[in-house]
Amino acid sequence: MRDEHHRFSRQQLFAPIGEGGQIKLSEASVLIVGMGALGTVLANHMVRAGVGNLRIVDRDFVEWSNLQRQMLYDEEDARHSLPKAIAAKHKLERIYSGCRIDAHVSDVTPGNIGELMDGVTLVLDGTDNFQTRYLLNDACFQKGIPFVYGGAVSSRGMSAPFLPGDTCCLRCLLPESAGDGDGQTCDMIGVISPIIDIVASFQVVEGLKILVGDLERVRRSLLSWEIWDYHTYEMKLPAPRPECPSCGRREFPALQEGGSDVAMMCGRDTVQIQGKRPLDLELWKLKLQDAGEVSANPYLLRVQLIEGERLVLFPDGRVLVQGTEDPIRAKTLYARYIGM
Amino acid sequence: MKLTVNGKSAEVEAAVLGDVLRHYELEGKMVVAEIDGNIIDKSAWEQIGLTEGMRIELVHFVGGG
Repeated sequence: MRDEHHRFSRQQLFAPIGEGGQIKLSEASVLIVGMGALGTVLANHMVRAGVGNLRIVDRDFVEWSNLQRQMLYDEEDARHSLPKAIAAKHKLERIYSGCRIDAHVSDVTPGNIGELMDGVTLVLDGTDNFQTRYLLNDACFQKGIPFVYGGAVSSRGMSAPFLPGDTCCLRCLLPESAGDGDGQTCDMIGVISPIIDIVASFQVVEGLKILVGDLERVRRSLLSWEIWDYHTYEMKLPAPRPECPSCGRREFPALQEGGSDVAMMCGRDTVQIQGKRPLDLELWKLKLQDAGEVSANPYLLRVQLIEGERLVLFPDGRVLVQGTEDPIRAKTLYARYIGM
Repeated sequence: MKLTVNGKSAEVEAAVLGDVLRHYELEGKMVVAEIDGNIIDKSAWEQIGLTEGMRIELVHFVGGG
């Protein structure tokens, strides 16, 4: 037997997984949304565990400030501003060539979530915002797919599995009206890497149980950690609320909303504008050569504008306006260079 | 009043649960509050009276990733 046939031997020796569990993992299809800090740890575990099909989605590209904690990326990726989904796919394929990796450089919206979740048996949360989490929650509870939430910032983090038809959903636990994002993002107040590994690893534990079918032993609680000023807490997940617009009344509000064409990337000094048409990067490289300093790779085009801001164009029609948090200013620059 | 808030004993001037959230500047944030292990619905935060020694957990949801 070739050595590579032993690659999962230690995991198969672990009785709750065993050979049967390993086969289930090889047939599984997992979606990870967001390939930042949590997403890269999640993907690393999934691929090393022998998951057969992995779909990864991210709208951003690798920057130097990511390397402190986003474990699949290196200096080469940052130097070339590779989209995270592409850089992650390259790295993951070198780790385990037996995993089919479907990488999407894209936003996740009510318009494409159905397609992204097609055939998926588990959704792992690597996002950095609640708008996308509510969308994932609603799509998962509509389709009956388990969803494992994780979040981390500063030295704090939390994780909970949500099982349709069994536990409450994210909306039951935390109604959208509970409060707003309060600026506590990794880009505003920082984050240390160990909290990332802790949160993502706990997401993976529950994910593995779900994938091998050991549902009985899935932890039905929200775990939270403060690891600097040490405190942990486990909160039992409450029963589903009959009046919940998602899992109770089955209205799934996030799936009904038309996606806005302008999105703030919180704390990033960046506004994203989703254009209606795809962008031919070769063509735009020529068109924008007088607008400022232009640099490109096969996945994106960057223009350092003479106004001071920077445009990043993606083939799917998205444009990031970096250097402003003002949507009006972003739209003005978009209109000036790309055209409405 | 002496309370245990997120695992630490704290002296907080509070009559109802809402006062504790205001004390920690968590009003309007994405928070789930528990008293002695029971989740308290947000609509009851201003009604639930506090007594000495209650264990309060304010779980502030984390959005980063």
